[in-house]
Amino acid sequence: MIAGISFTYIGRTYYQLPEELRFEHPMYNLLKPSGFVGHGLGIAGTAFILIGLFSYMVRKRMRIFYEWGKLKYWLEFHIFMCTLGTVLILFHTSFKFGGIVSVGFWSLAIVWISGVAGRFIYIRIPRTIEGRELSVNELQKLKNEMDNDLQKRYGITISNIGKNNFSNIKLKLIENKIPAGDFSKVRKLIRRERILQKRINQLDKMRKLFNYWHVLHLPFALIMLIILVIHVSVVLFFGYKWVF
Amino acid sequence: MKLFRHIFFTLVWISFSVPLSAQISPGELSQAHAQLEGISNCTQCHTVGSKVTREKCLACHKEIKDNIVAGKGYHASSDVQGKVCSACHNEHHGRTFNIIRFNKDKFDHAKTGFKLQGEHAKQDCKACHKPEFIQNPKLKKKSGTYLGLNQQCTTCHLDFHQGKLPNCTDCHNFNTFKNAKRFDHKKTRFPLLGKHQTVGCVECHKTTGINGKKVQNFAGLKFDNCNACHKDVHNNRLGQNCKECHQESSFHDIKGMSTFDHDRTGYKLVGKHKLVECRECHKTSLTAPLKHAHCTDCHEDYHKKQFAVNGVSPDCNACHSVYGFKPSDFTIERHNKTKFKLENAHAATSCFECHHKGEEWSFRNIGERCVDCHTNVHKDKMDEKFMPNEDCTVCHSTKSWDVPVFDHDKTGFKLEGAHAKEKCNACHYPKDEKGVKNQIFNGLSQKCSACHKDNHVGQFAVNGQTDCTRCHGVDDWHNSKFDHNTSRFKIDGQHVGVKCEACHKTVINKKGTYVEYKFDNIGCSRCHKDLSKL
Repeated sequence: MIAGISFTYIGRTYYQLPEELRFEHPMYNLLKPSGFVGHGLGIAGTAFILIGLFSYMVRKRMRIFYEWGKLKYWLEFHIFMCTLGTVLILFHTSFKFGGIVSVGFWSLAIVWISGVAGRFIYIRIPRTIEGRELSVNELQKLKNEMDNDLQKRYGITISNIGKNNFSNIKLKLIENKIPAGDFSKVRKLIRRERILQKRINQLDKMRKLFNYWHVLHLPFALIMLIILVIHVSVVLFFGYKWVF
Repeated sequence: MKLFRHIFFTLVWISFSVPLSAQISPGELSQAHAQLEGISNCTQCHTVGSKVTREKCLACHKEIKDNIVAGKGYHASSDVQGKVCSACHNEHHGRTFNIIRFNKDKFDHAKTGFKLQGEHAKQDCKACHKPEFIQNPKLKKKSGTYLGLNQQCTTCHLDFHQGKLPNCTDCHNFNTFKNAKRFDHKKTRFPLLGKHQTVGCVECHKTTGINGKKVQNFAGLKFDNCNACHKDVHNNRLGQNCKECHQESSFHDIKGMSTFDHDRTGYKLVGKHKLVECRECHKTSLTAPLKHAHCTDCHEDYHKKQFAVNGVSPDCNACHSVYGFKPSDFTIERHNKTKFKLENAHAATSCFECHHKGEEWSFRNIGERCVDCHTNVHKDKMDEKFMPNEDCTVCHSTKSWDVPVFDHDKTGFKLEGAHAKEKCNACHYPKDEKGVKNQIFNGLSQKCSACHKDNHVGQFAVNGQTDCTRCHGVDDWHNSKFDHNTSRFKIDGQHVGVKCEACHKTVINKKGTYVEYKFDNIGCSRCHKDLSKL
């Protein structure tokens, strides 16, 4: 976010120019994709993405790394690195999208957007803290535990609440002589219970969506990588080696 | 299986996303390089491992390379030296990207080797850099190119002189074509002097047609002779070297007036004409034709048509010559052919005596009689019968006025003896007491005393009248015919032979000085002494 804002501010006049006029801009030689900054951003962004991608892939897919921290954090790392890398690549392109590189970029964009969408779907499939998906039975069991907890401790039967708002529940709690200090706990419990119910209801749907998401996220990541290789090869082939 | 599915989707995506041919290009090439678009053409411009080198560019852009090698044009300037082409002519910025880009307003055209001066500096680039002015057929097709022009003015400008003159800038500057500010006629083989400086160019440099176009002719003009431009108003009578007489200050400002040989004209200057100022005859223009067949073409008829016959005057040269108006060539012989012949004294008389009696010369009707010119001095002084009708010729002739021929016998007083020898005026022009001669013809007495003085102071008067003829004749006064013996005193004896003055002494008294002839006393004592009284 900070990197994006910084580069947007620094190169705002350059990036806003149409392609045909950028050559005249005083920062052209710095911010152009092959410029000192532009090229550097490309290398850095690529490095971020590759690290974020392969570290997560290795941790996730290779058994020998199963013990290397919790997958949930690697996913966070993966999202962070790839998002930051995407932002840097975005400024590396100088918002000029054309040719195979654009395919690579748009693939990156799709991968990133799909990552965001995947994250949305991912969190809707309840998992253990290690990242293992919970079954419907396990979820139902969890829900029942929550229902029993509410009934036992606060005298609230979740099936009777319906869609009433919390003011009605509050009256019920007062009626049951529940201390006011527990109202927020009750509210949280009710919300969690409802979310869980919602997840249980959508679980099948989300699993299918997540399945499809893999079809989208991975191929585009693959396309991006292939084009990256081509792009970097061509660039190196023609002698554009940045500071090296 | 899952991996294969991913690869399959990837390939499908790549295949359908964009054309493969443009896959690795970072952007579209400009229109100028559009034909190089495509993956197979990268190395047309890019050098493996060395980005884009100028050698690759110049391999195609030979015209630029030629200019650089020849040291011509902007690409050979210090601005461009050492730079890669892509520093200015960058690519992959889209089809509409103008690969030739520079600030037209700030571009220093002098670095192309052709400094824009005057009107050139005000023109838009396209005014010159356009296909019509480019000779190279390949460059001509390149829209927007700034190549292909050379520094010859005629590359862009129409050769107004149609190749007749070498270098436009020798005469014209960059501000205006007209007036040829750089041209200095003084540096030509024909420097403009005098009036030539004020003559409009076109007066000499005529406009002619060449290749169907009007062209003012500045080269190859003949100027060794004035007649190349000027009409010979003398029709070659004075030769071809006008400068002998004329100069540039003015055609009419003749420098060789003093040495001008007028004989070369149709009128030879002779006599007095040689001394006359040119302007005396050539009143308006020295070159304007003058009539010269007759003297009166220049001269007034001095005699105001006095000699005109039937209204036509004879030419002056009938009487006068160019050696001077005076004297006239009208000789006595020619005068003698007129009604009035010049004879004797008239032949020696100046013309003006008769012909210029008044203020002007007069040749007609001046009269032929003597009195038309001469004064009749005898008028009222002489009897009409001796000078009838005032005809002088009765007595006088042209031979001599002083010797008139007159028969004095007609007057009744015959001139004899000494009278015949005397001049007329001895009797007819006597002097008075004051010594003034007074003419007297009429009334002149025939008595001797009318003319002669009585020397004897009246000693011989009879009744108051002295008759001289009693003693004197007309031949000689001193030869007296007096006979002493007829007097009271006869001469005899010793008195014979005695000189008269022995007795007749000269006396001086109140009557005057005279010889005393008559004595009251004729006794001896009158002359002799009385010896007895001695």
